[in-house]
Amino acid sequence: MTEKAEPRIGVFVCHCGHNIAGVVDVAKVVESAKSLPHVVLSTDHMFMCSDAGQQLIKDRIKEQKLNRVVVASCSPRMHEPTFRRVVEDAGLNRYLFDQVNIREHVSWCHMRQPKEATDKAIDLVRMSVARAAELESLPIKSVSVTPRTLVVGGGIAGLRASLDIADRGFEAVLVERMPELGGHVRKWTHLFPADESGEQIIAPLVRQAEHHKLVRVMKDSEVVEFGGYIGNFTAKIKNHKTGMVKEVDVGTVIVATGFEPFRPFGYYEYGQHPDIITLAELQEMTPRADLIRPSDGKRVKKLAFIGCVGSREAGKLGHEHCSRHCCSAVAKAAADLRDRVDEVVIMYQDIRTYGRGHEELHRLARSKLVIYSKFPKEKKPVVQIASGRIRITWYDVLSGDNLEYEPDLLVLASAMIPPADVAETSKMFSLTRSADGFFNPEHIKLAPLTTHTAGVMIAGAAQAAKNASESVVDASGAAAKAVGLMARGNVEIESTVSHVIPELCSSCHTCVTACPYGAIAMDTKKSPPVALVTEAKCKGCGTCAASCPSSAIIMYHSTDEQILTMVEAYLCPSTQTTGGVA
Amino acid sequence: MSTTTAESSPAVNWEPRIIAYCCNWCSYAGADLAGTSRIQYPPNARILRVNCTGRIDPEFILVALEMGADGVLVSGCHPGDCHYTSGNLKLRARWALMQKTIEQAGVDPRRVRLQWASASEAQIFADGVKELTEQVRKLGPIRSEWK
Repeated sequence: MTEKAEPRIGVFVCHCGHNIAGVVDVAKVVESAKSLPHVVLSTDHMFMCSDAGQQLIKDRIKEQKLNRVVVASCSPRMHEPTFRRVVEDAGLNRYLFDQVNIREHVSWCHMRQPKEATDKAIDLVRMSVARAAELESLPIKSVSVTPRTLVVGGGIAGLRASLDIADRGFEAVLVERMPELGGHVRKWTHLFPADESGEQIIAPLVRQAEHHKLVRVMKDSEVVEFGGYIGNFTAKIKNHKTGMVKEVDVGTVIVATGFEPFRPFGYYEYGQHPDIITLAELQEMTPRADLIRPSDGKRVKKLAFIGCVGSREAGKLGHEHCSRHCCSAVAKAAADLRDRVDEVVIMYQDIRTYGRGHEELHRLARSKLVIYSKFPKEKKPVVQIASGRIRITWYDVLSGDNLEYEPDLLVLASAMIPPADVAETSKMFSLTRSADGFFNPEHIKLAPLTTHTAGVMIAGAAQAAKNASESVVDASGAAAKAVGLMARGNVEIESTVSHVIPELCSSCHTCVTACPYGAIAMDTKKSPPVALVTEAKCKGCGTCAASCPSSAIIMYHSTDEQILTMVEAYLCPSTQTTGGVA
Repeated sequence: MSTTTAESSPAVNWEPRIIAYCCNWCSYAGADLAGTSRIQYPPNARILRVNCTGRIDPEFILVALEMGADGVLVSGCHPGDCHYTSGNLKLRARWALMQKTIEQAGVDPRRVRLQWASASEAQIFADGVKELTEQVRKLGPIRSEWK
């Protein structure tokens, strides 16, 4: 495990175009690294992640016989896998690479302090170089992938993903909490942009899923326990009706748990009058020739919509995002219903009919004389209820007039928010969530369907507010990711696990209780019994190493030495030898 | 050299030096988001990435203070939200004892700060750095405190 050779470290500093170099004095960072211990080369490049930048690293590794590489660029959460691959291509073990984050943690957050930012970058590079000297190569391990995918959620995304997986010859286990598949889409009467209802769209998918021999549909069921690691997960699935719990082994997971329509209590008198409903509730009304009022069953003559209800509210946690589907859904519903009522008024903040065919719906609604009226975002419409009538007053931006309207039915286009139990789902699959409450992808641009839990993908509205068409795109993408893993049959896993040095273990059992995964047990074959880590169960958190009173546990790639040498390099650089390799 | 050495005179040109231990999954990502969102905060902290705050041995904090860090920030996932289920709770259990220890050594416990900041809480992360920097600035260089 130990690298016997003297460290020969190469430092590569990235400009990231103007992103880093616009604030940080890159030349100074490069220069300062040259005099650090074990550094034989320090250089820069406009884009280290580009082909040319990657080639530069590979060439220098070979020319200078580098055995450690430090790249100062963006966050390792972004490009660590890229640069690990680069050093590996040049024959170095991937764990002999260290990345310094001088973009997210320096240039972008100290934009008006170039001197301090440069000092910070210099410090961080010095710390990384010190760590690099302590790095050790680790064996590359791979595990097999069970050729079966767990799909959580039987809405349009879960259905599409299951069918894609099954059509490629792999098994899908589709778990749906409700008694029927189809999710929200199934209930919706006005599904844009086509002229079909939700039922018409979803029914064929449901039928195919229920009859496909490789799709195992589990309705009325929920995942109650989940564990394991990429390629080798185990889920316990409980049927609410029978109380039966089934255990399934899967290699990959797609979380497609969708959204919940926001019930906007506290907005526009929602809940105070039966004729004030949400767009979702309108969609679920039984289709019929007339549009009728929930209050007294009379025909609706005057219909009003209000947009952005619980969406796009700056500073309000969980409600800052645009819910993306509502503008087009309102246009579609208004255009459809215009034929059955005398008048339709839509009060909006902005109109965002961005998708293919969506603007056409907006135009169709207008051509049918649906009245659009823009209100200012700082002065929203006011709804009052007086002797059973709904009265809306608002300021119309385009005419500059205060207007009022008394609709028979008021529809609030409310936000898409995560389901009430999203926190439990997030914990179950170790997913992080964004400020909007939906699950975080591994990378917002470059890896929108994978997550930081290797082997677990997200699809559809579980990831962010989005419409049915977009959810289907996600689902097929996530299915492709899962199939890719299963088709290869095996996958490399992290070697960053902990290891007990038997000679130092005092058999105190502290680590056994500290480990969140039960990965440490006493090895009774030894006398006295000492702690032993089952590597396949270890996730690499290092809690055991921190709790061991005998310092008998090594957390690979995060050893005490590797951490404390960085602290020392920052605070007491003079105590470390200076100058390159002799 | 960019840093002042531990022995150099305080007050004049003294800038607080802070070690920030962040867990990879929540707070390191939160700090990334602070950058992506261009949230500006004091440049006094140097972030060290650990997989989990459970990895943080109280020794890491004591050694940092001993080597001259004026403050230490530990930032992790919210209790109940740990990527590794409960590592942050283990850290929290050690925290009180660690604070007592540094207090007995004569170091003001306000120099160490434990905070929870998720991957989406960029502002909480940045505010944490800002508040600790200001706090430490008031307390002055750590060399004045060691008994």
